[in-house]
Amino acid sequence: MSYIKLNKNKCKSCYLCIDACPKNLIKKSNEIGQTGEYTVEFKDDENLCLGCGVCAVVCPEIAITEVYKDE
Amino acid sequence: MQVFNIPRAIKQNSNFTFCPGCDHGVAIRLVAQIIDELKLQEKTIAVASSGCSVLLYDFLDVDCIESPHGRACAVATGIKRAHRALNNDRFVFTYQGDGDFASIGLAESMHSALRGENITAICINNTNYGMTGGQLGPTTTMGQITTTSPDGRNAHYHGFPIKTAEQIALCEGTSFSARAALYDVKNILSTKNIIKKAFQYQIEGLGFSFVEILSSCPTNWKLSPKDSHLKIQNELTKVYPLGIFKDVKND
Repeated sequence: MSYIKLNKNKCKSCYLCIDACPKNLIKKSNEIGQTGEYTVEFKDDENLCLGCGVCAVVCPEIAITEVYKDE
Repeated sequence: MQVFNIPRAIKQNSNFTFCPGCDHGVAIRLVAQIIDELKLQEKTIAVASSGCSVLLYDFLDVDCIESPHGRACAVATGIKRAHRALNNDRFVFTYQGDGDFASIGLAESMHSALRGENITAICINNTNYGMTGGQLGPTTTMGQITTTSPDGRNAHYHGFPIKTAEQIALCEGTSFSARAALYDVKNILSTKNIIKKAFQYQIEGLGFSFVEILSSCPTNWKLSPKDSHLKIQNELTKVYPLGIFKDVKND
């Protein structure tokens, strides 16, 4: 199963990962982050994540700390 | 299988202090990934400059030195030559903004390239003086509104922007000069290859290698991070075309 690990404490709510994810698995969460905006969260109930790592490539804060790809 | 983790050359408990959406974080991560891949962490000395890049030593887990404003290439020259004289060669690179590299330190930068100093310079071009509040810089494009050009840059009063990568490519001591951008995934990955090539040219001792990176400044451009990337894609790449302008191995 492919998945990512997301550190909400590092997220600065630029939302670049939301636009980057090809499966739209990253969405705004209900938690307020360090910039006063809603942070993002990763939800993948149907195991759609490809493990492509695009979200980690575009994240300027390295808030997406780990990406695992199904072999 | 793990396909991404925090590079070892980034301090593991540090957080970037840049504005939300700023591409500096991406550029520093790419540099750290390449330092990991080329196994340079133990023998690298990074030279930070003034500007948004000033806190480089807070994030990169390599030896760093802070240079006076604009003089990063001169400081790097001294470090490289002194270590070479001691037969203890180090990998030396500078990480500067466009105001630091192309305005305040233009003499130091240009003459390092003319002397063919065996160092690498990375210049983050965000078309203004970001840290001090978005004043008009040497790379501000024609018509761009900044705090010191409220009616937009005009040629009669402010002159024309400098195209750094092309200028450095004209210097005979330059081994590699290229311009890259960070507005989408494809360009981030090609930027990584370009920085890696510049680093390898220094390791091979070919001379001055230079990479200019078009980066967004959402705070001072007063745009969202996404719109900033669209601005780079649609406007800036027309003024500052991407590409490799000098490559001694292919010329």
